[in-house]
Amino acid sequence: MLGRSLLLFAILALLHAAFSTYEHFSHLKALGKPEGSLPRDIMFEAIIALAVGILGATLNAPPLKETTWSSEMKTRSIDEMDARPGFASYVNRGRNIS
Amino acid sequence: MSLSSALETLANYRAHNTRASQDIVDKGKPLLNNAASKLGDDAWSFLEQLALAAIEIGDLDVADECLRQLGEKFPESPRVDILSGIRIEATERPEIALKFYDDLLEADSSNAAAYKRRISVLKRIGKIEQAVTELSEYLDTFYSDVEAWVELAELHSSCNQYTFALQALSHALLLAPQNPFYVLEFAETAYTANDIPLAIKMFMLAIDIADRHDSEESIPTGASVRAWYGVKLCCRSLSEKPSSPSASDTPFPKNLNLLDELATERVLTAYSAAGKEGAAGRELVLSWMGPSDRSGSRVHFVR
Repeated sequence: MLGRSLLLFAILALLHAAFSTYEHFSHLKALGKPEGSLPRDIMFEAIIALAVGILGATLNAPPLKETTWSSEMKTRSIDEMDARPGFASYVNRGRNIS
Repeated sequence: MSLSSALETLANYRAHNTRASQDIVDKGKPLLNNAASKLGDDAWSFLEQLALAAIEIGDLDVADECLRQLGEKFPESPRVDILSGIRIEATERPEIALKFYDDLLEADSSNAAAYKRRISVLKRIGKIEQAVTELSEYLDTFYSDVEAWVELAELHSSCNQYTFALQALSHALLLAPQNPFYVLEFAETAYTANDIPLAIKMFMLAIDIADRHDSEESIPTGASVRAWYGVKLCCRSLSEKPSSPSASDTPFPKNLNLLDELATERVLTAYSAAGKEGAAGRELVLSWMGPSDRSGSRVHFVR
C-alpha cells in the first residue's frame, strides 16, 4: 500500500517536473531568450521523484520466492516420486467385479 | 463442485502423478463432450488423464470416447498409440498387447514409452526375469531415464537381489542428486539388505539434502521424519549387534548414542508440533522410542 502510493506520487512529481520544464522553456522562447538553463527547483523535483520512485518500487515488489532445491523438494511427496507413470499397470481385478 | 475448482484439482493430479482414478472420472466425465472448448490447450492432457483413469476403474466407454477424440486430433501420434495399447491391455490377453507394442517398436524403435509398456506387461504377468533383462537393455540405450532405474531397483528388490537394487538406485542418485526421496529409498534398501553402516550414512545424507537450508529449530516434515526414523532404527540395530560387518565396507559411525538421542528428539519434535494430528501418533511413538533395552517391537518399512 505504502509502496504503491509512493510510486504514484513519484510518477506524478516526475510528470509535473516535465510539464514545468516544457512551460519554462516555452515561456523563455516567448520572451525571446531561448538559451536559459533549467531552474533549480524543477531539477530538485525530478531528483526527489527519482528517489521516492525507487523507494516505492522496492516496497511494492512481490514477496520473494524460494530458490533452493530443498524448498522445492519439500513440496513433493513420496507417492509422486514413486509413481513411475510410464510403467504403471492399469489392469486390476476390478474388471471381474463390475 | 464448481468447474474451476474441478479443473484445478485435475491439473493438480496431473502435476503430481496422483492415481485418484475414481475422483478423476467423477470430475472429468461431465467435461468429456466439450473438453476442447472448456480447457483450451490443457484439453489433450486432460483427455489422456481421463482415459487412463477410466481404464483403471473399468469405465471403458469413457476411455474409448477419450481415445476417439485424441485420435481425431492427433492422427499419427506415438503417444496416442501408447494409449491405445493400454486400452488393449485392459481387455485383451497380454500376448496380444505385447504383440501390439512389438509392432509399434518395429515401426519406430525409438519409442521409449513402448519399451516401458512391454516391461510393465511382462511384470504384470509374472515374467520378472524377462522384464529385468528387457529393462536393462532399455537402460543401456536410454540411460537418463530416472523412473526406469527406480523401477529396475524395485524389480530387483522384489526378488531379494538387494545388491543389484542398490546398483540401480545409485544410477538414479547420479541422475537426480538433489532428490532426497531416492536417497531415502537407497538407505531403506541398504537397511533391508542388513548393511546398517551404509544405511545410516544414507539416511543422514537424505536428511542433509532435505533440510539443508533449514534453521536448527525447524520441525522435520515429510521425508526427513522417515529418515530420522531410519537413523533411530539403525542406531538400535548397531547397538544390539555391533560386530556385524558392512558388505560395502562403510565405516561404523562414531558417537552412536549421541546420534540415537538426536534422532529420538527429532522424531518426537515432528510428532509434538503438529497440533491435533501430531498428538494422535505421539503416544505410540513415545512408547516405541522407550529405553533401548526394550526387546520385541520391530517396525518394518513398507513402501
